[in-house]
Amino acid sequence: MTSIGTGYDLSNSVFSPDGRNFQVEYAVKAVENGGTAIGIRCKDGVVLAVEKIITSKLLKPGSNKRIATVDRHVGIVSAGLVPDGRHFVSRARDEASSWRGVYKGPIPISALSNRLGSYVQAYTLYSSVRPFGVTAIVGGWDSEAELAVDGQVGSGPKSGSGGKVEGAKTGGPGLYMIEPSGLYWGYYGAATGKGRQAAKAELEKLDLSSGTLSLVDGVKEAARIIYVAHEDSKDKEFELEMTWISSLDGPTKGRHEEVPKDLLEEAERAAKRALEGEDEEEDATKGNSNETERMEE
Amino acid sequence: MTTLSGQPLSEAIGYSFSNANSAPHREHSFYPYTDNGGSTLGITGSDFAILAGDTRSVAGYNINSRYVPKVFKIGGDDETGDGAHIVLSVVGFAADGQALKERLDAVVKMYKYQHGKPMSVRACAQRLSTILYQKRFFPYYVHAILAGLDEEGKGALYSYDPVGSYEREQCRAAGSAASLIMPFLDNQVNFKNQYIPGSGEGHALEPKKAEPLPRETVEQLVRDAFTSAVERHIEVGDGLQMMVITRSGVEEIYYPLKKD
Amino acid sequence: MNHFPEAWGRPRDDVYGAYNPLYLQTTGPKAHTQSPAVTGTSVVAVKFNGGVAIAADNLASYGSLARFTDVKRLRKFGESAIVGFSGDVSDMQYIDRLLESIDIRENYSTNGNTLNAKNLHTYLSKVLYKRRSEFNPLWNHILVAGFDEDKKPFLSSADLLGTTFSAPHLATGFGAHLAIPILRRLFPEETPLESISKDEAVAALRECIKVLWYRDARSLDKYSLAVVTEAGIEIQEDQQVEAQSWAFAEAIKGYGAQVN
Repeated sequence: MTSIGTGYDLSNSVFSPDGRNFQVEYAVKAVENGGTAIGIRCKDGVVLAVEKIITSKLLKPGSNKRIATVDRHVGIVSAGLVPDGRHFVSRARDEASSWRGVYKGPIPISALSNRLGSYVQAYTLYSSVRPFGVTAIVGGWDSEAELAVDGQVGSGPKSGSGGKVEGAKTGGPGLYMIEPSGLYWGYYGAATGKGRQAAKAELEKLDLSSGTLSLVDGVKEAARIIYVAHEDSKDKEFELEMTWISSLDGPTKGRHEEVPKDLLEEAERAAKRALEGEDEEEDATKGNSNETERMEE
Repeated sequence: MTTLSGQPLSEAIGYSFSNANSAPHREHSFYPYTDNGGSTLGITGSDFAILAGDTRSVAGYNINSRYVPKVFKIGGDDETGDGAHIVLSVVGFAADGQALKERLDAVVKMYKYQHGKPMSVRACAQRLSTILYQKRFFPYYVHAILAGLDEEGKGALYSYDPVGSYEREQCRAAGSAASLIMPFLDNQVNFKNQYIPGSGEGHALEPKKAEPLPRETVEQLVRDAFTSAVERHIEVGDGLQMMVITRSGVEEIYYPLKKD
Repeated sequence: MNHFPEAWGRPRDDVYGAYNPLYLQTTGPKAHTQSPAVTGTSVVAVKFNGGVAIAADNLASYGSLARFTDVKRLRKFGESAIVGFSGDVSDMQYIDRLLESIDIRENYSTNGNTLNAKNLHTYLSKVLYKRRSEFNPLWNHILVAGFDEDKKPFLSSADLLGTTFSAPHLATGFGAHLAIPILRRLFPEETPLESISKDEAVAALRECIKVLWYRDARSLDKYSLAVVTEAGIEIQEDQQVEAQSWAFAEAIKGYGAQVN
């Protein structure tokens, strides 16, 4: 970054001569230091996972959750500044609730992501604010069933509500990632935070675009990827936090919930086993490099 | 309807302009009160006070429930009311009664947290009057009675009208059977129309002097007052709840009444 | 066209009559609900050993018109509470949305829904009381069924005035007249809950709904029935009144033109 110190990095809403907003780029730096967060869009649901770095032994294990529920069917995980993430989630909840107020139904994941993208983008426009120091992954499930309106009391017309096409497929998993610039894309698999490069490499191996990965397998892959991504910052302890949203006939019935303890532990065990397996392969080639690492610890 | 300027009224073609003042006032047909019936009664003695009420709740000729308390401990340490030293009874519109009770309870608790000492019954009585008067033009439709012990440890009883007028009394009955119970109390507590036998003839007869009654006598009077009211008033019955306030705290006694 | 630009485009009173400003009133008193529009009739409920059963028919009436015949008046809240609504259906929908938003907010934290039926009842009664105090009532009478904080069966009522009461069996509207006597005969108030089984409670409610169908002109023979137990909520929304016997109708004489 040769342009640093030229004065164009001091204020939001000021472009540098080569067309960059440095404040946004600094915000991305904040994200790159955060614990790895990933999302996987599976055939029948979405998994969110985060590597929660333990900053103090005085914190109660399992507390201070990093993945938030936004509406029944939406969860958000973010990497970067935790308080910025909290504010982002709070805005997401307001958006989801205001959508219900207007449309009497749950907000589609795409619409929520769009609104949040606009919100984040607005923080890049003014000199009086700084951009969000988070990259957030929004995961959810748009109901595939014919939606009842909130507060609806009747069953509606027997032949299906107006304009309904018989057998048409609606709803499904939704996964979006929103960056400090306000940029957002829909993803098959999303990763952000410190270990994003390793995580992305792993995600790419999963062939997510074929839409064949099941949710339960997705949970195991997510756990493994977080463990893989943690390899580069092994000196820090971490907790694995995972949530999921399944289809209506799946384990969470379209709701965003924590992955049950036994499944989470199973996935963690499998992840550790997979890593050890890799280590053994590495040991065969690299000799005892692993041992020296442990000694350093 | 307005006419256009300059045009003689007779030749004007009328046009309608919005004219907000012409809208007639409409009366609300929603009536925000109901009478949930029942009766309450309070009597004081030299070192105690008793506040009692039946537990029936009615709506017209319907009995809503046979157990809806009208007598509440105020300013207790928890939701059970333990540790309270003031008791409030409310009779009339039960929803207002509930709201009033919750407000007074909060006030007495806040007093203790802020001043580090329990609120005196006298202060609480004055405060209750203020609360009621603040809603002078949309009153809490209740007859409240407040009981406790005063600074000297004597039974204290304050009775209120719905808009906060209050006075300290020896005894008071309120609610639907008040007119049945009050004369009985006048006679049995304040010894009205009772004279000392053989003290004279006609106007020279010496009235019997009212003395504070012992607790057992008062409890029996309360029970008698209610069992009698139950016989003559359809809105009174099911159960009698008595709160006895003494130096050692508030004791709650429940007594079944006829359920007919 | 005339020489008064302010009148251009306005309808002439001599052609269309004077405009009634009542229809487009922006100032003056604001009209709140004065009477309900589309309404649901009775809700009946009874506590039993280990839970509460509640029932309501599937009709929403518009005055005397049977307007909607598949209306669900029993609404779930979380996994262990049911609210049964009688009265205005649009207000019911409003309250249902309110409950939905509360449930969503409750689930922001991962420990899940912590509000039990008792909390819910307290909350709803305060909503109703607040609205009546604003002279803008929510025109409903509701029953809340579920459990209290000690996991004991809970059943309580709240109406449009904010009046609350609780009893082992409750009914709103016509049910207060027709169903309560049946429930009282089957399960006298002194009956311990432990001796009432779920099946007995459900059978009793079915009987009550049948009697209401016989005698309440604003009722329907299709109804919903929900049972709340420790295991969760079972809700059936397509029940049919069965084993009807209209033999009694033959014996009814003396109304209208026919006198003997």
